[in-house]
Amino acid sequence: MTSMQITRSKIASRIMYGVCIACAAIIILTLLLITGYLLVIGLHSLNWRFFVNLPQDNPPGMRNSIEGTIILVALAAAAGIPIGMLAGIYLSEYDANSMLAAPVRFVADVLAGVPSIVVGILGYELLVVPMGTYSGWAGAAALAFIMIPIVARTTEEMLRLVPGSYREASIALGATKAGTILRVVVPTATGSVVTGAMLAIARVAGETAPLLFTAVGSSRLVHNPSEPFPSLTLRIYELSNEPSPETRMQAWSGILVLIALIFLVNLSVRYFTRQRR
Amino acid sequence: MTSVSDIDSNLIVRRRRFSAEPALYLAALASAVMILLMLAALLVVLFAAAAPSIHRFGADFLVSTDWRPNPLPVLKLNSHGRPIRDPRTWMKVVDHNEPPRFGAVASISGTAQTSGIALLLAVPLSLGAALCLVRIVPVWLVPPISFLIEFLAAIPSIAYGLWGMFVLGPWMGGPARWERIGGVIPFPAGIESRVAAALVHLPGFGWLVERQVGGKTVPIPTTGRDVLVAGIILGIMVIPIITAISRDILRNIPRAQIEGTIALGATWWQSCTEMLKFSRSGLFGAIILGLARAAGETMAVLMVMGSTPNVSASPLSAGATMASTLAGEFPEAATNDLHRGALMELALILLVMSLVFNIVARYLVVGKTIRASAVA
Repeated sequence: MTSMQITRSKIASRIMYGVCIACAAIIILTLLLITGYLLVIGLHSLNWRFFVNLPQDNPPGMRNSIEGTIILVALAAAAGIPIGMLAGIYLSEYDANSMLAAPVRFVADVLAGVPSIVVGILGYELLVVPMGTYSGWAGAAALAFIMIPIVARTTEEMLRLVPGSYREASIALGATKAGTILRVVVPTATGSVVTGAMLAIARVAGETAPLLFTAVGSSRLVHNPSEPFPSLTLRIYELSNEPSPETRMQAWSGILVLIALIFLVNLSVRYFTRQRR
Repeated sequence: MTSVSDIDSNLIVRRRRFSAEPALYLAALASAVMILLMLAALLVVLFAAAAPSIHRFGADFLVSTDWRPNPLPVLKLNSHGRPIRDPRTWMKVVDHNEPPRFGAVASISGTAQTSGIALLLAVPLSLGAALCLVRIVPVWLVPPISFLIEFLAAIPSIAYGLWGMFVLGPWMGGPARWERIGGVIPFPAGIESRVAAALVHLPGFGWLVERQVGGKTVPIPTTGRDVLVAGIILGIMVIPIITAISRDILRNIPRAQIEGTIALGATWWQSCTEMLKFSRSGLFGAIILGLARAAGETMAVLMVMGSTPNVSASPLSAGATMASTLAGEFPEAATNDLHRGALMELALILLVMSLVFNIVARYLVVGKTIRASAVA
């Protein structure tokens, strides 16, 4: 290699060093710009009435939608987290290398990447059509569908990190398999399993597409899941199609509340994992 | 040697634990089987609902560029090829109605265009940022930046959609003008018309910004509600995903690999390219995961671009992706079996496509990171 080539590649290296920093800077600035915009505009029309008023009130609020999202996510979690955890327990503790485990693992991975609109359509075909009405149940089921594979795989990964000697010790002390799993393995991994569950909750709390044809949205205060059900994301989407800018401003506030909810979940996950380390 | 006491203790254990032991196993087994059933349900239900369309159009669905939910009236023409008018009402006379026709090409090409633009934007930026995080950023600064990126991956798509619809779209579209961000920072709004004005004089780029209408070449209006803006929003959305996964992959490269290249006299960038080459399959998997996310995204595309399935080469024209067509037209298709069937067939294609992308990606990323399933 001539010295010319060496200098050239040194200069190229300097340039690319700068380019890499620029890439990171551009990404961070763009994303800060977007979140900053959401924050500033959203705060503009956010006040306490936003949380207690209904869309018909003056000034309009999103109480029904906020409660709707919380109820939907709670219902989805009540079904999705136990099923997902049990599937994770099966994959890690029972037949980890069986003929069934490999396809289940594979399908769970693949399901986690299915576009959420497709899940919404499945909910429409399987629940809305037979029941004859849009409902909160259908919406919650669609969200649970999205949660199950995520929770199953994170639970499996986390349980696998529990040292085998714990299981052997428990069995040696006379505990049964079920006792070992419920009293030793799962409690040891609680922190990280909760993390996985919380991340799944944060993921589905922001979903809109699966709810479009299942929960469908409502402007009333609904607590009965067998009726069309309001959700924050559906309300935001509805508002984004409003012609008047004042009404649209509420959509920004709704986004802010939604992101704040997700941020809280994320932060609590951080706190949880930090405690355990 | 089996003694009587052995059998007895077995019996005792079994009697004491008879409920919990098989119950937990059966519940776990049922949950695992349920995951298999979920995928089966997706395939079976979509296939059954798509039956009217599959039956009617067959393989034609995959190659037809038409997407017409309503019958197309064909006018009665006279011998000169002019439409005949009713003598009393002076209305043009309809000869017959072409039946509705559906083809996936318009939606598939819209999906390919938006995802392609998204990847063009996201891949270089994400890989550069991932290298920066692994090789440049001081250790104390990595956790906050990583947290930021992971948090941004968790922001719901409807937020990006809203921002694209009311901020980015208007910035991109409209006539060239100057705006101020937050009333302070000057910003050259109307980017599309600025770029179009530059490209229109370059030979070979005309198709990007012009189209043929009635034999004449006219510039495509820059509305800010088009494939380009949708692609940019999708790009912004997949950046955190690709960055997070490729950062994990690059971080897991054995240190000796990097140190070896430097010991041999490689410059900083040369050792970086070695890192990229060393983990190329994993990085490719990360990109495919980003692609899968971009291709399946619904809300952001629907809000930014709407859904008007048509085939156009230009990124300045409005279009539709498979997901946005589904979300946009499903409400009006509920009563029309053929229309609904066609949408279901689109959903089926979308599902199969996402399965293929995910299978390829997981195969490439497998074992390198568990984050792939958590982030994407």
